[in-house]
Amino acid sequence: MKILNWLAQTKIWQSIFRTKLPISTNLDKSLVIFNSLTLHIHPVKVRLRAIKFSYTFYLGMISFFLFVLLIVTGILLMLYYQPAIPHAYNNMKDLEFVVSNGSYLRNMHRWSAHLMVITVFLHMLRVFYKGAYKPPREFNWIIGIVLLIITLLLSYTGYLLPYDQLSYWAVTVGTNIVQYIPIAGEKIRFLLLGGNEIGEYTLVRFYVLHCVILPLFMVLLIALHFWRIRKDGGLS
Amino acid sequence: MEKKKLYPENSNGKNKINRRIFLTSIGNTATGIVLLGSFGVTLEYLSPNVLLEIPKIFKVGPVNSIQPNSIIYEPEQRTFVIRDEQGYFYALSAVCTHLGCTTKWNDSGAAGNPNAVISCPCHGSLFNKRGEVIQGPAIRALDKYRIQLEEDKLVINTAEKVSEDEMILKV
Repeated sequence: MKILNWLAQTKIWQSIFRTKLPISTNLDKSLVIFNSLTLHIHPVKVRLRAIKFSYTFYLGMISFFLFVLLIVTGILLMLYYQPAIPHAYNNMKDLEFVVSNGSYLRNMHRWSAHLMVITVFLHMLRVFYKGAYKPPREFNWIIGIVLLIITLLLSYTGYLLPYDQLSYWAVTVGTNIVQYIPIAGEKIRFLLLGGNEIGEYTLVRFYVLHCVILPLFMVLLIALHFWRIRKDGGLS
Repeated sequence: MEKKKLYPENSNGKNKINRRIFLTSIGNTATGIVLLGSFGVTLEYLSPNVLLEIPKIFKVGPVNSIQPNSIIYEPEQRTFVIRDEQGYFYALSAVCTHLGCTTKWNDSGAAGNPNAVISCPCHGSLFNKRGEVIQGPAIRALDKYRIQLEEDKLVINTAEKVSEDEMILKV
């Protein structure tokens, strides 16, 4: 305790944490929230009702937590994975059977992905049935829809990466659905596949989409989404 | 409420262009052209020019060794080459016209229908031996490819789809 007290008085501590210790007044308490990057997702004062579990079921935060988990496990999986034929399938099997704790990590990634689709969907249901999409939150609802679409696209692009029979035919069917888009359908399919059939280019394209482009948009939009929650008047 | 105009008007109602508006317009236009150009160039970049895909034209034969009323399936090209009872040849794409799965040929038919010799494992479309739809979800008949005789071998071009009248090669 004594060491902590001393630590809190040092210049380094005070340069990192702006709030002066000890915390005694209500102003001090509010400053802790106000000065923290993570805690200030909530306003300084929140109605007790608004942070009750039964109010939001914490579905948005659970989705976000799963996304963070997916990034961490995903980055670790990338270390043993090459997006090339035939390495991709062998790497996936190595992760399952050879790499220490690889199957645990892969399963964590897979189950988190499935769960995230479910929680994002439930989150939207909750928002819909509570009428939380109404003004002034209409734009945040639109951002939410885009986030749902990106979640589904991440799920879909990740599905090809093991490069087994299941992924191959799922992507065949999926890109053929894309082909039915009027006028641009054929071109979009060609660009997605990097050719007329699923091949080396397709795997790399889906890999880049899955690991770089889509997560980047996801992070940016999540930031905007959270910021808008505050600007539109807090939880609802 | 009157809308605020982007460019102010002078007394005779014509748009007044001063130096600032002129330079801003030129700057914005130039930026716009550069952005549009880089978008176009990027889009072009995304479309590969050389593809290492299997050749569109392939050969089957010699013709004499193919019995009437038999089929040859080419898995690489996903094509059925068929010789019917009269000894005529035709080539059918094995790619389901619904969502692109590879169909399977089964002489005894599928789903209790002896005519449904071609069936798709993905969503259950059925086709007869001419590639016509017996049961959906596919709505279009299987593609027919140009088939020609070259010396004693059949040459099939999967890049050239032909109509029902042209599909048959009489030998």
